[in-house]
Amino acid sequence: MNSFSNQIKQKPWLGWLLFLATLVVVFIIGLLASSIMERRSEAAYVFTPQVQYDQFEPRNEIWGKNFPMEFQSYKKTSDTLFRSKYNGSAMIDMLEVDPRLVVLWAGYGFSKDYYQGRGHSYAIEDIRNTLRTGAPMEGGKSPMPNTCWSCKSPDVPRLMNEMGAAGFYRGTWETRGTEVVNSIGCGDCHDAATMELQISRPALKEAFERIGKNITNASHQEMRSLVCAQCHVEYYFSKNVVEDVPYLTFPWDNGFSVEAMEDYYDEIAFADWTHKLSRAPMLKAQHPGYETYMTGVHASRGVSCADCHMPFMSEGGQKYTDHHIQSPLNNVANSCQVCHREETDQLIKDVYERQDRIIENRDKLEELLVRCHVEAKLAWDLGAAEEQMTAILQDIRHAQWRWDYAASSHGGSFHSPVEISRVIGTGINIAQEGRIRLSRLLYSLGHTGEVPYPNISSKAEAQAFIGMDAATLRAEKELFLQTVIPDWDRQAAEREANYTVKSLFE
Amino acid sequence: MSGLFKKLAPPANWKIPVILVSGILAGLFLYVAHISRVASYLSDDPSTCMNCHIMAPQYATWSHSAHREKTNCNDCHVPHNNVVNKYYFKAKDGMRHATIFTLRREPQVIFIKEEGKRVVQENCIRCHSDLLTDEKVLNYTVVYQHERTERPCWECHRETPHGRVNSLSSVPYARVPVPESTVPSWLKRNREKITKEKP
Repeated sequence: MNSFSNQIKQKPWLGWLLFLATLVVVFIIGLLASSIMERRSEAAYVFTPQVQYDQFEPRNEIWGKNFPMEFQSYKKTSDTLFRSKYNGSAMIDMLEVDPRLVVLWAGYGFSKDYYQGRGHSYAIEDIRNTLRTGAPMEGGKSPMPNTCWSCKSPDVPRLMNEMGAAGFYRGTWETRGTEVVNSIGCGDCHDAATMELQISRPALKEAFERIGKNITNASHQEMRSLVCAQCHVEYYFSKNVVEDVPYLTFPWDNGFSVEAMEDYYDEIAFADWTHKLSRAPMLKAQHPGYETYMTGVHASRGVSCADCHMPFMSEGGQKYTDHHIQSPLNNVANSCQVCHREETDQLIKDVYERQDRIIENRDKLEELLVRCHVEAKLAWDLGAAEEQMTAILQDIRHAQWRWDYAASSHGGSFHSPVEISRVIGTGINIAQEGRIRLSRLLYSLGHTGEVPYPNISSKAEAQAFIGMDAATLRAEKELFLQTVIPDWDRQAAEREANYTVKSLFE
Repeated sequence: MSGLFKKLAPPANWKIPVILVSGILAGLFLYVAHISRVASYLSDDPSTCMNCHIMAPQYATWSHSAHREKTNCNDCHVPHNNVVNKYYFKAKDGMRHATIFTLRREPQVIFIKEEGKRVVQENCIRCHSDLLTDEKVLNYTVVYQHERTERPCWECHRETPHGRVNSLSSVPYARVPVPESTVPSWLKRNREKITKEKP
């Protein structure tokens, strides 16, 4: 070593040679390292399936092994922290917020309880918890049919594949309790072989067929709304498709508008229930989210549900869809601002402004409907005849249908503010027409003066007013949740333990 | 000068380790410069901006716009009042971009900053100044010049030149010149043999 050192002293170019040689060696080692890292990352960048499963695999976590980014974002639908001005992902007791609803739905399940829905991953938990499904214990039956499970789980297409759609709908709700256990997820919208979007529920396909459309011709962009339209639509349980089966049906034969669906229901003289106070043959609008959205400006510009509720993400150069399905108000940066370059606060303000204006009239219509029901009850009590009440009850039916079409469309006041305003406007008019008829009738029956507005400033007061014993219902539900549900879960776990999932790494 | 050099020079018996360490450091420096395409940052070539793949939507939209015929990224996005300011701004902006890209802190929807907006506006005017000095129009529209200097051009020309859909994911299939492999082809050919990696 020393001798080499001496040599350098004598010939400095030897030192430079050593320097350059080291430099070149390090540079080449660097390139080699690059090459190795490149090869390693190739493996991470391509799709690497872990497991093989079929279309009717109901467990989202199994699909999630092959699609970790999508699955992880889907898991975020369990977040309940976001509350917007009127909605969000938190559980809000809507009957407490707005006790008028109890009176409007008197005699119908929704007057028992109605919560603002949480994310998709709570679908099973929440349908088990609601008082509407009752507490079927020891051979008792639920007041609801199996049709109520239709939108809750990827177990549903699995069971429909085994027993057919009508077979699935048949029977009361508790009879599929051990079978439908996985919350809304992958198989509800995706084809297992290609991951293309697909329609898994027959009701939407059948509704398209009846209006002469073939849903298999839908474009990918249309499918990014239609998979949502499998559930986020107005529907009813038809008794006319298969005998003794409440068959899930969309009332779209005459069109999507509030009038078209009203005509449809009037033609077949369908009523969801008879109102407990007014005895009107009522319609319960479910959630015509898709129908009302289609009348809005975003829809007419070709924006799909997923564009705002599941915006695209890019991470590490890989594009994927954010499966945290949620209010865009909690994700303005990735949804609205893709097209709208305004500040977040301004965009949120624009939404709230529309909602505020519409809820003003919606509340007015609600108050009128409460008055309708109370005044009609008084008319019956004073001895009104059936034929005297027919036109009045029809007005109540139509006015409340319009209110519910607007109210239950949830995002409707933003999706389509003009149409929702129009619908509420027609509802107010019909309700007042009914009240004019009512005041004439009450006068002829000897009643003059105002019929007092009930004291319904809280959910408890409103439920007492319609004569409901909510405490008993809740106590029964509590017992049901403690005794029956663990058993359902245990049986489901035993069944699923026998499912075969082929690992691709064994 | 030679006195200073002598003071810094290592003792004779350290000479070889010092040469080796300097060689390693210099080699690593050149290697990092090579893989980060450092030289490209001195140029005006738009593919330089594609060194960070998140700029793909900006590149793709520009390359489908009329502006591609006359401009590159720097024509609009760095100042052109003097060459020092140009490279100062470019270095400052570039360091911020590189830092955010390295830390993976990029937002899904990118907004231009206030300073960047001013530069772009100045550059619009730099080329399109004719539009501000047209006597014919100035004569019968009093606010003409005011409207065209006080408000950003893109308040009306919204699609110029990057379109109106702003997201990292807006052009997933665009063919853009993302940086090619830094591994030389001779090494690729022999890679399997050298690294003995499983295919």
